[in-house]
Amino acid sequence: MSVSYTAVGWNRQKKRYDFAIAGFCSLYLLLFIGLTAVTNPDYTFETALIRSTSTLAFLLLHVILAIGPLCRLNSKFLPLLYNRRHLGVTMFFIALIHGGFSLFQFHSLGNVNPFVSLFSSNTQYHSLSQFPFQALGFFALIILLLMAASSHDFWLHNLTPEVWKTLHMLVYIAYLLIVLHVMTGVLQFETHPVFVVLLGAGAAVLVTLHLLAGSREIEKDNARFDTVEEGFHYVCETSDILPNRAKIFCIGVERIAVYRSEDRLYAIHNVCKHQGGPLGEGKIIDGCITCPWHGYQYLPNNGQSPPPFTEKVSTYDIRISGTKVWLHPTPYPEGTERPGVYIGNSI
Amino acid sequence: MEQIITIVFTVALVYLLLGLAFYPLFIIKGITQIDPGAKGSSWGFRLIILPGVVLFWPALMRKWIVIRKK
Ligand code: HEM
Ligand code: FES
Repeated sequence: MSVSYTAVGWNRQKKRYDFAIAGFCSLYLLLFIGLTAVTNPDYTFETALIRSTSTLAFLLLHVILAIGPLCRLNSKFLPLLYNRRHLGVTMFFIALIHGGFSLFQFHSLGNVNPFVSLFSSNTQYHSLSQFPFQALGFFALIILLLMAASSHDFWLHNLTPEVWKTLHMLVYIAYLLIVLHVMTGVLQFETHPVFVVLLGAGAAVLVTLHLLAGSREIEKDNARFDTVEEGFHYVCETSDILPNRAKIFCIGVERIAVYRSEDRLYAIHNVCKHQGGPLGEGKIIDGCITCPWHGYQYLPNNGQSPPPFTEKVSTYDIRISGTKVWLHPTPYPEGTERPGVYIGNSI
Repeated sequence: MEQIITIVFTVALVYLLLGLAFYPLFIIKGITQIDPGAKGSSWGFRLIILPGVVLFWPALMRKWIVIRKK
């Protein structure tokens, strides 16, 4: 959280994660290059490098795009989300090798600047079969560059979270550009259907996951809490909320997390100050509400991060009558102390 | 066509070079003024944001100017 920035926020879990990424990538590249060297009579190292890095980067991009919806569907995938940005930066560097090497290979031999050559050597923009597909890859690479360059939390704070979020949503445009890059490019040299099938399967998996996760969210948000007394909405029974866990309720437009910590219930805004993670999907660790995405912490009774941290979220009033939990959807200013409510022997 | 591309390329290059020139000033003075979290931060951190500063320098410069005016 924001005390003083470090270059890379490594801890044991992140180191293991990065180790796994590095191991997988090296193994993939070695196997790919080794196997083509042995089996393909036209093998050249340059081509093998271009193709192994391109396919690896594209594969990683699929994993990156699948992590979000997978976590919404099942919390078992949360460890993958925890360090997704390192996966993203790795993917950018691998794609950079592919793009850089292609530029070098196909555009640096003449006396024209390679970037100029990239856009001017083939201008058949009206032709599908001869389309200058490398330009598409170039624009995708620019998007990946912007994302990798702004991946440190410093950028989240200083570009503002809205701009940052928008910038990082461009990953979907990058994905689309790469799909087109591959379709218009590879299909110019390769006629084997396996490429089309793989490409289609990848896209189908991603679209399905996003649709599933999205419809799940909409269902939750559309749940209605119409029983209202003195501004308090009836939301659930006390026994519905497990110890050290929360349930999320969407009243109006606000998502509110109701947490059970020891023998009390507390209500805070569901949106983490870091990158908007769903606080209500986290748990209480060491007495603090802990965001499931990257572990920012907040005290349940006032929504403040424990000192020396300075993040704050809104708090809400809550009450219990019998076994029923009632929630007031009007937020208090961020960081306002709220006593919560004693569950007692209502369960 | 080639001319247009050359112009776009040159403009982009100038933009990035300006960002590179802005970097040392920003690292020495601006960064702690616009973001208290950068106080006492490591040199590794300052190095790792270099590509971002070169790309997003107008946003940082704007923030810095606004804060200095206050
Ligand atoms: C400056 C940017 C780029 C250039 C100049 C470029 C160039 C190329 C070229 C020349 C090929 C055909 C290679 C061959 O079959 O021998 C290719 C294919 C491919 N590219 Fe790119 N590319 C760029 C960016 C990207 C990016 C950002 C990705 C994202 C992962 C990507 C993914 C792929 C894939 C998956 C293939 C098909 C597999 C292959 O044949 O290598 N490319 N690209
Ligand atoms: S979103 Fe990153 S810690 Fe909550």
